[in-house]
Amino acid sequence: MADVQKVAVIGSGVMGCGIAAQIANAGVRVLLLDIVPRDGTNRNAVAEAAVARALKTEPAPFMSASAAKLIETGNIDDDLARVAECDWIVEVVVERLDIKQALYRKLDAVRRPGTAVSSNTSTIPLAQLIDGMPETFARDFTITHFFNPPRYMRLMELVTGPLTDPALAARVAAFCDIALGKSVVSCKDSPGFIANRLGIFWMTGAVSAALDQGLTVEEADAIMGRPFGIPKTGVFGLMDLVGLDLGPHINASMASALPASDAFHAINREAPMLQKMIADGYTGRKGRGGFYRLSKAGGKRVKEAVDLHTGEYRAERAADLPELAAAGRDLRRLMTGQGKVAAFAWRVMGHMMGYAAKLVPEATDEIASIDEAMRLGYNWRHGPFELIDMVGADWLIERLRADDFAVAPILERAAGRTFYRVENGVRQQLGLDGEYHDIVRPEGVLMLEDIKRTAKPVLRNASAAVWDIGDGVLCFEFTSKSNALDEQIMALMGKTVALVKQSYKALVIYNEAPNFSVGANLGLALFAANIAAWMQVESMVATGQEVMQKLKYAPFPVVAAPAGMALGGGCEFLLHADAVQAYAETYAGLVECGVGLLPGWGGCKEMLGRWATAPGQPKGPMPAPTRVFEMISTAKVGKSAADAAEMLVLRPTDRVTMNRYRLLADAKTRALELAVDYTPPEPREIVLPGPSGKLALDQAVAGFRKTGMATKHDVTVSGELARVLTGGDTDILDTVKESRILDLEREAFMRLLKTSGTLARIEHMLETGKPLRN
Amino acid sequence: MQVYKAPLRDMQFVMHELHNSAAHVAEIGQTDVTAELMDSVLEEAGKFATDILLPLNASGDEEGCRLENGVVRTPKGFVEAYKKFCEGGWGGLSSPTEYGGQGLPEILGKMVEEMQCSANLSFGLYPGLTHGATLALEGHGSEELKRRYLPKMIDGSWAGTMCLTEAHCGTDLGMMRTKATPHEDGSYRINGAKIFISAGEHDLTENIVHLVLARMDGAPRGIKGVSMFLVPKFVPSEDGRPGARNGVTCTAIEHKMGLKASATTQLYFDDAVGWLVGEPNRGMRAMFTMMNAERLSVGIQGLAVAETAYQSAAFYARDRIQGRALSGAKYPERAADPIIVHPDVRRSLMTVRAYVEGCRALSGWVATALDLESKAADPERRQEAEEFVAIMTPVVKALFTDLGFELSSMALQVYGGHGYIRDHGMEQLVRDARICMIYEGANGIQALDLVGRKMPAHMGRFLRQFFHPVQAFIETNSDDPKVLPLAKSFAALQQATAHLAQVSQKDPEEAGAAATDYLRLMGLVALGFMWAKSAKVAEAKLPHANGDAGFYKAKLTTAQFFADRLLPQTGALWGAIKAGKASMMELEEAAF
Repeated sequence: MADVQKVAVIGSGVMGCGIAAQIANAGVRVLLLDIVPRDGTNRNAVAEAAVARALKTEPAPFMSASAAKLIETGNIDDDLARVAECDWIVEVVVERLDIKQALYRKLDAVRRPGTAVSSNTSTIPLAQLIDGMPETFARDFTITHFFNPPRYMRLMELVTGPLTDPALAARVAAFCDIALGKSVVSCKDSPGFIANRLGIFWMTGAVSAALDQGLTVEEADAIMGRPFGIPKTGVFGLMDLVGLDLGPHINASMASALPASDAFHAINREAPMLQKMIADGYTGRKGRGGFYRLSKAGGKRVKEAVDLHTGEYRAERAADLPELAAAGRDLRRLMTGQGKVAAFAWRVMGHMMGYAAKLVPEATDEIASIDEAMRLGYNWRHGPFELIDMVGADWLIERLRADDFAVAPILERAAGRTFYRVENGVRQQLGLDGEYHDIVRPEGVLMLEDIKRTAKPVLRNASAAVWDIGDGVLCFEFTSKSNALDEQIMALMGKTVALVKQSYKALVIYNEAPNFSVGANLGLALFAANIAAWMQVESMVATGQEVMQKLKYAPFPVVAAPAGMALGGGCEFLLHADAVQAYAETYAGLVECGVGLLPGWGGCKEMLGRWATAPGQPKGPMPAPTRVFEMISTAKVGKSAADAAEMLVLRPTDRVTMNRYRLLADAKTRALELAVDYTPPEPREIVLPGPSGKLALDQAVAGFRKTGMATKHDVTVSGELARVLTGGDTDILDTVKESRILDLEREAFMRLLKTSGTLARIEHMLETGKPLRN
Repeated sequence: MQVYKAPLRDMQFVMHELHNSAAHVAEIGQTDVTAELMDSVLEEAGKFATDILLPLNASGDEEGCRLENGVVRTPKGFVEAYKKFCEGGWGGLSSPTEYGGQGLPEILGKMVEEMQCSANLSFGLYPGLTHGATLALEGHGSEELKRRYLPKMIDGSWAGTMCLTEAHCGTDLGMMRTKATPHEDGSYRINGAKIFISAGEHDLTENIVHLVLARMDGAPRGIKGVSMFLVPKFVPSEDGRPGARNGVTCTAIEHKMGLKASATTQLYFDDAVGWLVGEPNRGMRAMFTMMNAERLSVGIQGLAVAETAYQSAAFYARDRIQGRALSGAKYPERAADPIIVHPDVRRSLMTVRAYVEGCRALSGWVATALDLESKAADPERRQEAEEFVAIMTPVVKALFTDLGFELSSMALQVYGGHGYIRDHGMEQLVRDARICMIYEGANGIQALDLVGRKMPAHMGRFLRQFFHPVQAFIETNSDDPKVLPLAKSFAALQQATAHLAQVSQKDPEEAGAAATDYLRLMGLVALGFMWAKSAKVAEAKLPHANGDAGFYKAKLTTAQFFADRLLPQTGALWGAIKAGKASMMELEEAAF
């Protein structure tokens, strides 16, 4: 469905508007329709308000302000016929069968024949949705179930019916995958599909088990969270996020849809305390508070939690459970033994695993789909079958039998072996037939994770590794803690450049950690500064500059492929690459000023060069330093790849990949394109304003200082930055070489590092994760 | 015979010339404390040390303390000497004026402390502990406790102790068993037994105030469940005078290698009345105020004993004639040359001298920081001073006391066989000095504190207060060949520090294996810094020194000796550190 030019989204609630925003983020036009309000003159007010609200929402549904302009709003009464302009129609209206069906009938009358129609329902079976609809409609119909918030949650469940045209379903899936960046998991038309079916079982089980075992909410969340690789919100924290009031509706709908034999019924009990909380407006973060709340009584902000028995709030108490530390990563030990911790862990997670096995073949035939759904839909680090492989299927079967919990056939098949295995370098999953089947990545997906399963690194040291990704392309991977940049990375990069020059065509800088790199290893730098090891620090800065210049002027193309945060030195790698293939969710910026430093690995130099040559800028030597100064002195970070492009951290020639899984393959393709007749860039010289320019910037900062917007140390840091960006002692009649700007960067960096204000900022950042405003 | 005269000129040099006392008192807002005032205090303190304390040192060692019917008798003359000590106001020299102290700067107080310990270490312990206890009480006690106890302790009529150790727990205080039970009037009842309590019982004062660590009912396990209590020997009555005898008794005194005139007691607490000092379960925090002060004082004790050993050995080396100088007779008119002509005797004397003067200079630097941390106007300056004290406390404690023992042994060697017999008093100095390496946290623990706690704290922030001044000095004087050895040693220290920070993250045993060598390395660099600075001062003063020329020349020569002969050990220490723990940890336990 690469030919999708325009999509209609019907229903502009949080989900509808979020889906519309993500489609716009992909650069595709959207027609967003909602009902006509009962009062008022603006018949499009509902949809318009939704877009306006989305523009203010954090985390932002839109990747850029320009994306919002791709959304055209309207109302169902006047504009429904315009769905004929659209190549896909997504229905995201209220979860009522009659309303949906009525809408489908209207849609069917106006849509272009063959246009895909899908519903975002999470509770109504597809069979019911198309009941009574013509076969031509049923053939074009699927359920596309997105997760909230649609921009950030990478899971989409796709449900097809027996009449759905497979080719159409494949086109919808491809669009959601490539354009919207979703991992599309195919589900059967069963209640709750996969993620919610299992997630609701897990949450409901956890609430009743916590009540039975007399655990506090903090204890329950501590057990559920870290040990099992589940976000630290655990169960109760997650329910606060989702909204407590949704629970009873969803549970009721699950209970009515699931057969009487389903294990869900045994744990789905009335919880009077919960009902009372909902009735009193304690519906979670959106309400007056949930299981946790921030109390501002007496002017102090105190974190509180609910006592599950009395229903009263009390001060939050960190769980003190020695069993967790004792068990470490041994989940079997955590779930075994006496005491409430083991009992709770087993009942919730053991039964969840048993229930997950039941979803094969009820919800899907593939265990890998269930794991993917839980990883991406609930942000679990491991899916249930990966967890079973950790504790052992035989152990699980034995424990489940002791509880009279029905053992699903797929679990019996796993007895004596594992659900996953690696055969000839290929990951395989166990099927219901008892055989192992290759897990095949879709075309256009290349993962380092897969390559690493069989290959040995071409080069490696303690902080980085280099992999051969085929066709003459090497991939440089940061492997240090948090991908912090250090001497080792620079040293290996130096070697890599020499190696590629000799024997390869191109280099891609990429890794599969949550963040590309959050910058230089500040802990090392701070320690070195504290022991006055200035020479070592300066040589680290100088080496970094050399390596960056080598990358830029290497006789082969270098493509940086960031995802997540690319800050400070991480951003400087992007700036020195010949091209960037960025994951859409890339957050790049030169943030050094936040810790009292400035970009010392050529960041100032590259940003100056880009703004000096950017089209549409006013003439003269001052605009570029001014723009770069604004960006760097405020430590601005782009909130998406699109945002980075506006900052010129990405150039117009750089490209964006929407699906995280496709990033490496896209980067490799780009590298190979560039490798054809590659010529390195010419060194450039620019005209900078010199001391008079610095004066102007200093005056601006002095103004900010007066109004309290700049701190004392901001003035010092900005002063050094201004000196670098205006070219030091240069004259307007001269041109400044890159090497000169690098010298200025390095000298200023060292001067700043010797100030107590900067050292205090670095230390504060390392110890609290927050910037110090000194 | 032990020889001791307070080294007034060197002390003045350290206070006024090296650490610029005029600028220092201005920074702490005490310009009324003039150099003349400080000098006259030093002079008086020197007289007191030589005339009153020194004569009791050997006799006190000979006689020792006695326990009679639960009462400890100090050796003959101690009671009278202590009375004079109080009359002279020596106990409250640097204590706050608010509670009757004289409020003088620590840079002066530490010099006086050194003199007292040089002349009579056993005696020095009694007021030393009292002073430490007043600091803990001042920092953490309630207003009521402070009002009731501090004036008496500062004027010396009441003494203080610190009660930590129990028979089964010394270093690992988390295992403590002494219990505190709340009483309805807000006080506590303390029950348990403590050992190794210095000055736990004696006849010098009318009352003794014990600061006792104990565990309250239901307190968390380990060190985080320990609280501090004030337990007086006599519970003060309403008029403030010692009243009813409290349930704390001395059951025994220890028989020790040295320090015999100081009563080291076993105390039994039987429903003793006590009051909480500071917050419940934060006793270690309160006790650390006292311990940190004591650790610096103990370091100064090491320095102090070495000074007496030096003076005695120098006296003996000039006096004792034996053999001829290797280069031919220097005193042909005499039967033999004094042994001071011999290079190896010189080596001993110069070594002791160079360390002692270096340590005094360093203790002066730390003392200025002690003043700044409580009295500087700028909060940032106070913070920096506190961090400097934190990083230097283990260095001063362990380095000075290791040296105190090594150097007094070296000085004893100058005496030959006469050093080993009791008459000359040298063996007493060696025995007395030995305890300083052990108490207030054994030196191995100090090294661990430095490497395991102080060094990594806040990514090395405490180190900054030492490393930055040294680096700045080296940069400023990069053209001075005298500073080159310091620059080399400092580079070794930087490398060792960066190395340890890295390896100990992965393997804490590496830090443990390197700790003692690292502390010595840092200590040597600190002394090297003090010597290099001293040499700069002496060099500047020499041209117009007039009568003082000999002093400055000696400074320059001793500085050169330190740089030539002692500082090079830093290279070997860095080598040892780099070698790592492997050969240390290799042997099976059974092979020992």
